[in-house]
Amino acid sequence: MKQLISIEINGEVHELAVAPQDSLLHVLREELGLIGTKKGCDTGGCGCCTVQIDGRAVYSCMTYAMSVQGKPVVTIEGITENGQLDPLQQAFIDAGAVQCGYCTCGTIMAARELLATVPDPDESQIRHAIAGNLCRCTGYQKIVDAIKLAAANSA
Amino acid sequence: MSLTTLENYFLPGSGGEVVQLLQEYGERAMILAGGSFVHGLAARNLLPGVDVFIDIQKLGLADIVAGSGGLEIGAMARLADLASVSEIREDAAWGALSDALRCPPVQIMNTATVGGNIAAACPYFDLPTAFLAIGASVRTEGSSGSREIDLEDFFTGLFENSLAQEEFLTGVALSRPEPGSASAFVKLETNANDLAIVNAAVHMTVDESGACQAARVALGGGVNEIPLRSAAAEKLLTGQVITDELPAKVGQAVQADISPMADHRASAEYRSAMASVLTERALRSAIARMTGGN
Ligand SMILES: Cc1cc2nc3c(=O)[nH]c(=O)nc-3n(C[C@H](O)[C@H](O)[C@H](O)COP(=O)(O)OP(=O)(O)OC[C@H]3O[C@@H](n4cnc5c(N)ncnc54)[C@H](O)[C@@H]3O)c2cc1C
Ligand code: FES
Ligand code: FES
Repeated sequence: MKQLISIEINGEVHELAVAPQDSLLHVLREELGLIGTKKGCDTGGCGCCTVQIDGRAVYSCMTYAMSVQGKPVVTIEGITENGQLDPLQQAFIDAGAVQCGYCTCGTIMAARELLATVPDPDESQIRHAIAGNLCRCTGYQKIVDAIKLAAANSA
Repeated sequence: MSLTTLENYFLPGSGGEVVQLLQEYGERAMILAGGSFVHGLAARNLLPGVDVFIDIQKLGLADIVAGSGGLEIGAMARLADLASVSEIREDAAWGALSDALRCPPVQIMNTATVGGNIAAACPYFDLPTAFLAIGASVRTEGSSGSREIDLEDFFTGLFENSLAQEEFLTGVALSRPEPGSASAFVKLETNANDLAIVNAAVHMTVDESGACQAARVALGGGVNEIPLRSAAAEKLLTGQVITDELPAKVGQAVQADISPMADHRASAEYRSAMASVLTERALRSAIARMTGGN
């Protein structure tokens, strides 16, 4: 049985009818067309569905849409301000940290929590923060470089 | 994707309402905390007969309070909240807990709750092993009031616990350790996101002469259907002056108490061999903490 809920995504409140078993990922992609958040494994194993809820990085594939009522959600689409890329987005381009790009949005959302709490992270803090995000292309080094660059550019 | 189709999703505002819903829906209902374990079951169609979720986030139960008696952890505290408690990070006696909290990826730390990690009664999780070594009890609420259950009596089988049908976890209590205590936890896993093949934790209190006054040795990760304490290892350790040979002997002693499972992660023989190795490592790490290292 569908239930009517309201959820706040990227600062905008949406009224939606969701099935109780719908994941936040499903609602973002299939109901709202926010397809920057990717679906990889759909079971909490790859990280490409990462979004922020209350400022914290979580897997949207295993978050029930019903559970996020009253909690602000930020997706990759919500971090660009007035057409200006987020420092992490810019740094991923500048450092060449994107190959196929499937993991990128999720990794940026995980790195975003790190930089908000640790503005000048060292390499091991960076690697720990993205340990829940798999990348099959880059070998991670350029991703780590990009996060360092974003930190330096935001200082 | 979720193969489980739900009839209803409740967000009750009080413990009384939770108990009422559990009474009303019986086997059809499942408590939902962070959902990180429940989702995996739903996605694999492993929740036969369940069509109602009872999400308990509105109950609060997320506080972590340090007092003179110890630490009271609300069932809905996230693993990330627990990891940020300074006493846990700094007190060598609780070292096993901070070790265990370094394992899950950030997204799970932000989602998974302490209560869910315990209530799942999954032998492959890490907190139960650390809590068993440190010594913990769980607090519950149900149709006949509240109870406190020693964690050792809580796990009754693979994915089974001693909660009654109409009862749920409200928190975990850790008592303040004796001075001169230290603990450590180690985990063997196939990759950074995986559950334990074997994990082990040791908690010990050493007196001024350097002898071990009290010890608790716990293992998990499929060394049995439930995480457990090793009485044989504890007996061997207690009363002994710590020598360099002792950790390996204590590691061997756990063999008397384990009966490892075989699955896609590891054979029973491998688990058995690793249980001794990991116990030895956990003990060495606890000893190092005791003597001032970290
Ligand atoms: C990718 C990934 C990596 C992981 N890595 C690790 C790791 O390294 N170490 C580790 O220990 N764990 C790990 N886990 C497991 C994770 O820690 C657990 O799934 C989590 O702790 C469960 O808590 P939850 O709040 O999400 O519980 P839920 O999924 O909501 O619930 C779990 C179970 O407990 C019951 N329950 C929950 N709360 C209560 C309550 N208050 N009272 C009664 N019953 C309750 C539910 O009904 C359900 O049966 C990992 C999981 C994933 C998906
Ligand atoms: S799609 Fe969510 S973790 Fe893989
Ligand atoms: S760039 Fe292809 S998976 Fe990361």
